[in-house]
Amino acid sequence: MRYYRFGNPEGRFIGNTEKYAAYENVISEHRHEIGAESYQNLPGEFTFAYGPATGGLIESVAFDLHTPGELIKHVGVDPYVKTRPLKIRGLAPQDALLMVERINGFHAASNALAFEMAVEDALDIDVPDRVWYSRLIMLELERIRSNLEVVKRVCEPAGFGVPQNQISYLRENVARIISRLAGHRYFFSASSIGGCQISKSGIETMISSVKREFGEIFNALLESKIFLNRLQNNGNINEGDLLGPAARAAGRNVDARLEEMHMPYADLGFKPFIFDEPDAFGRFYVRSQEILASTDMISEALEHSGNSSATDTAGASGEGAARVESPQGDLFYYVRITDGRIEDIQMSSPSLLNIEAFRKSMAGNIFTDYHFNWESFGIWISELAVVIQ
Amino acid sequence: MLPYLGPALFSIAALLGLFHRKASYLMLAASSIVFAATQFVYGDYLSYYSIIAGIVWVFAGIYSLSYGERYGKWLASLMSLTVLGMSIILVSNNYLALIAGWEIMSVPSYAIVALNKSQKGPAFTFMTFSEFSTVLIIAGAIFSFVVSGNSTFGFIHLATFVPLLLISFGALIKMGMSPFMISEWLPIAHGNAPANASAVFSATMTLMGVFLITRMIFLTAASPALVYIGILFLIIGSISILFASIYAYISENMKMLGGFSTIENQAAILAAFGLYLVTGSAILQEFVLVTIIIFALSHAVSKTGLFLSIGSTKGEYFGEARAPEDRWMRVGTLLSTMSLSGLFPAIGGLAVWMLLESFFMQAYLGGYIGIVSIIVGSIIAISEGMATGAMMKILSFSALFRARKGPASKVETVTVFSVGAAILILFIISVLFVPAIFRGGIPSVLVFNGFTIESRFSTADFGLLSPDYVIALITALSLAAFAVFRRPKTRTADVWNSGRSVSSEYTSFAYANNIRLMLRRVLRTRMGNDNQPVSVIDVFWFAMNSFGRGYRRMCMIATRKFMNSSIAWYMIYMIIAFMIVIILAVAFY
Repeated sequence: MRYYRFGNPEGRFIGNTEKYAAYENVISEHRHEIGAESYQNLPGEFTFAYGPATGGLIESVAFDLHTPGELIKHVGVDPYVKTRPLKIRGLAPQDALLMVERINGFHAASNALAFEMAVEDALDIDVPDRVWYSRLIMLELERIRSNLEVVKRVCEPAGFGVPQNQISYLRENVARIISRLAGHRYFFSASSIGGCQISKSGIETMISSVKREFGEIFNALLESKIFLNRLQNNGNINEGDLLGPAARAAGRNVDARLEEMHMPYADLGFKPFIFDEPDAFGRFYVRSQEILASTDMISEALEHSGNSSATDTAGASGEGAARVESPQGDLFYYVRITDGRIEDIQMSSPSLLNIEAFRKSMAGNIFTDYHFNWESFGIWISELAVVIQ
Repeated sequence: MLPYLGPALFSIAALLGLFHRKASYLMLAASSIVFAATQFVYGDYLSYYSIIAGIVWVFAGIYSLSYGERYGKWLASLMSLTVLGMSIILVSNNYLALIAGWEIMSVPSYAIVALNKSQKGPAFTFMTFSEFSTVLIIAGAIFSFVVSGNSTFGFIHLATFVPLLLISFGALIKMGMSPFMISEWLPIAHGNAPANASAVFSATMTLMGVFLITRMIFLTAASPALVYIGILFLIIGSISILFASIYAYISENMKMLGGFSTIENQAAILAAFGLYLVTGSAILQEFVLVTIIIFALSHAVSKTGLFLSIGSTKGEYFGEARAPEDRWMRVGTLLSTMSLSGLFPAIGGLAVWMLLESFFMQAYLGGYIGIVSIIVGSIIAISEGMATGAMMKILSFSALFRARKGPASKVETVTVFSVGAAILILFIISVLFVPAIFRGGIPSVLVFNGFTIESRFSTADFGLLSPDYVIALITALSLAAFAVFRRPKTRTADVWNSGRSVSSEYTSFAYANNIRLMLRRVLRTRMGNDNQPVSVIDVFWFAMNSFGRGYRRMCMIATRKFMNSSIAWYMIYMIIAFMIVIILAVAFY
């Protein structure tokens, strides 16, 4: 492992895998305790069960809202209502990649790249610079689409049909850009162990158009007092471990891209957008700014990007780990490969800590705040509910 | 001697209670019928209060035959004594008898509250306010005595408004509205008495206040000052009705909810008194007077039904309630709560309609009084909406949807249902309660003459309502629906909670929590302590307590800092106090 080592907890906590706890540069064999609070209803309070299959939720997740009516005193979140077993162990890395990129189709590039980087780390595979630029473009395109989806979903409970549909249209445009770039709307099979295959013709013009159009919608949303009232002071959270946009909205200079060794974020002058409002508005604002910043990075990275074919991993052995900044925060992968087969794979999704942050941020809110806050975290349950076998 | 037959029988009932509970309650019920019958004089509005009180006492007496078994003999005697006091108030023809009745009513009530629970607070609270009320009534009586040339304590006609003002404020204490807009003593006291006594307190003790104000208004000659008193009544009434309905809505103690609902109803009646005093229209005054009587009737009967049904849930808080497993009991509770919600086809619906009509009629006359009327009318309408929410809360969480059911006593069921039936019957025959000038009909659309109650200044109608046609329409349409659809096929299934085992019932606290949160500035809503999810403050009660504590602290400081072992300061204090009393006495004399 070139970037990670096993040891005592040190630095920023990233999340727990099935067996380990992942930190900035350390993997601990002792999982980090995330307090599972139980809550006893007080007289007059009751438990409102929301989910796992209900309107307003796009994935299966069960919430227990403990409430004396309107006011939410405590939230219990169970993301493991519907688990998906994925048989990855024993597969060759290139076969395992097909499964990994399907853990969360919406963040397929992030998952695939983190896995590929872990495998490359394990097997000491060198990746050409042009490929790192291509991978950066993939990650940032995925970030744009994911953040557009979050902003769209934040507009939805406000009844803002016009911006919601305008952003849906933009998201579709980005999906088409991805399709044109990667040959698949969800980047499936676009990257590989040690390589990447993209087509960049016409992308720059299209991405500029997305930036311009989103900029107009974003500015219009900022002028809507009604919209802002629903977001501001909703879901304040600036305690505990925060990742991704939630951390940056809370003023924390936290971003895996800052610590990235291969992808040329530093060369492109990347600086994370840090904000000082740790609420749903802050998270909406940071995500929107990141959409605009990502379009700039993509435009700049396009000229340096290029392709390379996959590296053969047959018969190789090693242990590696990697972390990328997925649209919702740090996504970590660890692999141990023996004779060209995946012997162990561990994964930590930012959903874990974001759910915890969401849970804490809901105490004191009222029912009507719930959706805005939940959507502002951009949590994907699929990454948590996967059981890697 | 006939008017005193009732009080004499109540005295016997009180004595009987010392030996036999049931006999005492039975005697109370029977004496109430005699009392009502001997007091009734057609066209005499004051005599109507005796009928109203009599109806309540009959139901309370019968209900107590079963409910009273849970309490000692003391309750039977004390309840009859309280009723005796009220009957003396109603038959009194001079201030001395009135004051005697007032005290005979208050002292046993204090004992009932004190003996019911080991807590001293509610009983002392009750007694403090009762005595404060008595002091004001005595002051009013003395003033009347003085203006009569020190000749009589009889109810003489008064050229001055002072006795009206003093006695009204004394009555308002009993109605739960003074010295502040809402005095939580009433819900505290009524909420800490046995349910049958709560019914008597809430329905008839407050009625005595209404009776007293009516009596004083009849005695006081018209003067410009009455307009200002009327405006004062309108202000107090509208603020009280709004806050009482809010506090009723958020109350978790069913009997205290009933207590706040009582203040809300009394405030509506006070507002009607205010309108009576400010309006320049004699016909509107007549209409308002009828409104007051019907409102008082509706409140007394419906509140009796409410408290009796609460008593049958065997609990005080919603969480403790066991809904009696009897459909007739539920029907009775439904009708009582409908009436207190101001909904048709209950007598309360008519009362609220007439009250709102009165205000909007006055608004029609214009002027600044018209503007005041439209504002007060709107506040009453809002408050009635809130009251509907409060009543639906009590109906839902104590009678209809409680998961835990409890047994129902036959006597209690019959009484509660009978009260409900009385509410319905009173609505049906309500046309008879209004003078002929407010009766009418529209024969051209088959609404025959004598079947509508019409709010009007002259021949032209302002608004109209036909209770009988309302009932007839509801009945006909219900029967038609039944004939077409027959009995609905229903099935009960366990709640599907997305396949999860979480099963938690919606609570009464949650039902009202939206108001706690929305009106957080008014209710001073705070996240509660360990035992209470969210807490609110009754700002009026809080202000009064703060005032009391502040006064006591000031006295303690004065006592310890200045007068402690200092005869000189004590003498100065006595001299100043004596001079103030002399100056006030001379000024008022």
